[in-house]
Amino acid sequence: MPDLYIFKSQIGMLDPVALYNQNVAIHYVKSTYYRKVDFLEAIPPFQCLDFGALAATTPSARTNVTNLEMADNEFGLFRWYPIDDAQIRLYHPAGISKWQLRNLQIPVDMQIVVRDPNLVSTEIAIWEDNRPAMEAINGGAVALNAVRIIAMGYRFHTVDLEGRGEFADPTLVANIKSGKEPCTHVFCSGRGIGD
Amino acid sequence: MLLNTKDGIVISGPVVNLAAAGVANAAVVFTVPVLAGQFIGTKSLQIRRVNLYNNAAGTTQVLIGTGVAGTFVALLPALDSINALNDSYGPNTDLVAAEAFANITAYPVALGAGTSIDIQVEVIIRG
Repeated sequence: MPDLYIFKSQIGMLDPVALYNQNVAIHYVKSTYYRKVDFLEAIPPFQCLDFGALAATTPSARTNVTNLEMADNEFGLFRWYPIDDAQIRLYHPAGISKWQLRNLQIPVDMQIVVRDPNLVSTEIAIWEDNRPAMEAINGGAVALNAVRIIAMGYRFHTVDLEGRGEFADPTLVANIKSGKEPCTHVFCSGRGIGD
Repeated sequence: MLLNTKDGIVISGPVVNLAAAGVANAAVVFTVPVLAGQFIGTKSLQIRRVNLYNNAAGTTQVLIGTGVAGTFVALLPALDSINALNDSYGPNTDLVAAEAFANITAYPVALGAGTSIDIQVEVIIRG
């Protein structure tokens, strides 16, 4: 599956990272789950969060983005951007900084649609209900009436290739791990510095 | 995909007849879309154009904002409405793209007896 990978840049919106019956490895913090996609659908752009009013030169509380959480056995792939004049810090899950450099956590602001029109750098994947969260920072001298986030992407339902369930396939999992079978690796969280 | 060009959709409001002057008579000229529990997202309105037709009301000004009477907050400075003429205010020339999160209301500062001003606004709906 050389054409199915995360952070793909192309003309148009975004591609799914896996299609029907293809293998995925879900990485959540330090855990890895080997699964197979048995359903997917696109999620059109929608407003996933409104922080509400935010006073001038004030950061918001960290807010769980529950509208981006997925059901059991599902993961979501999203790209997103804010439409109001605030910088947004992402945490994924809520306790781990996303886009964390050694000395700086990178925020996203409205300029992202100009600097990265495909929103590649905002792409995140969310495994089940493992809590993405955001903080909005109003750095301006004017209060904002709303801080709204637009997201779009894909929803994937998967079946478990490990364990003892109906779709368990230890041979396939071994072949994926050894590189004999193709698999898309999907990172569904941030990672702490030095972790 | 140039999302910045897809940020909002342009919608025109109805023609509203402003037949009473003063902030206490501010009338709704554009309504924010909202349907609790069903409509997704917080919508806001950015003013793009304002058309005024002065029905021989005398030269005056029209205030555009949100709220009515004591809750009225202007979104723009007063716009001139010249006696018996059409006044058009558009983007990139006269109007700041002020953003409203509530219904847009408007009122004339003064009116001649038995006269009125017709107003129509065009907005970009965001969100």
